[in-house]
Amino acid sequence: MSSEIPFVEENGKVDHQDITVYALSTCGFCRRGLQFLRDRQVKFRYVYVDKIPYEVKNDLKVKLQEKFQRRVAFPFVVINDERALVGFVQREWEEIIKFNIKWEK
Amino acid sequence: MKTKEQTRKFMEMVAKKNGWHLNRDEEFLDMLADGLTTNYNRYGYYSCPCRDADGDKELDKDIICPCDYCVPDQKEYGHCYCGLYLTPEFYQSGKEPEAIPERRPL
Repeated sequence: MSSEIPFVEENGKVDHQDITVYALSTCGFCRRGLQFLRDRQVKFRYVYVDKIPYEVKNDLKVKLQEKFQRRVAFPFVVINDERALVGFVQREWEEIIKFNIKWEK
Repeated sequence: MKTKEQTRKFMEMVAKKNGWHLNRDEEFLDMLADGLTTNYNRYGYYSCPCRDADGDKELDKDIICPCDYCVPDQKEYGHCYCGLYLTPEFYQSGKEPEAIPERRPL
């Protein structure tokens, strides 16, 4: 979304989709979501938005809201820069993985 | 400054006072205790760890733990937005809290 944002890259074998997670370092569901992706060896990038400058964070939230027309809450997952999932609901996140498995076959 | 131990006591006190249960998942509770402690030491108040705070107490007053949305969320989902405070009924059901929609007005 912006070169100002210090994303952390996580490597994984499941890499057929481009996944970006916007999370809070303080949030249990955010941490569970990130671990869920790691456990399933999904390649993704993430940023803890509570650790970036206030103005950058607010600008980012406005852009995400405008682009995806979704209430920005965390974790906020962007898939292929075209779809967003809000909150860590495991059955929804499983879909990310399933889609990858189909592509891998 | 607050320590994680002080935050754990705060969480336990809030739960006891209101007749709620804390999430039984110790690892999850530990993450929330870390998050609340971080927020206290950042902002000077226990801002909800699962919401993005402004850092201005007046703007964040509705999301100071336990937040203004805790009871409505418990009534609808059995637990607060963070999955920290559970109703006795939800706790006894053995279900695990999961992410719920944000009811805080924009």
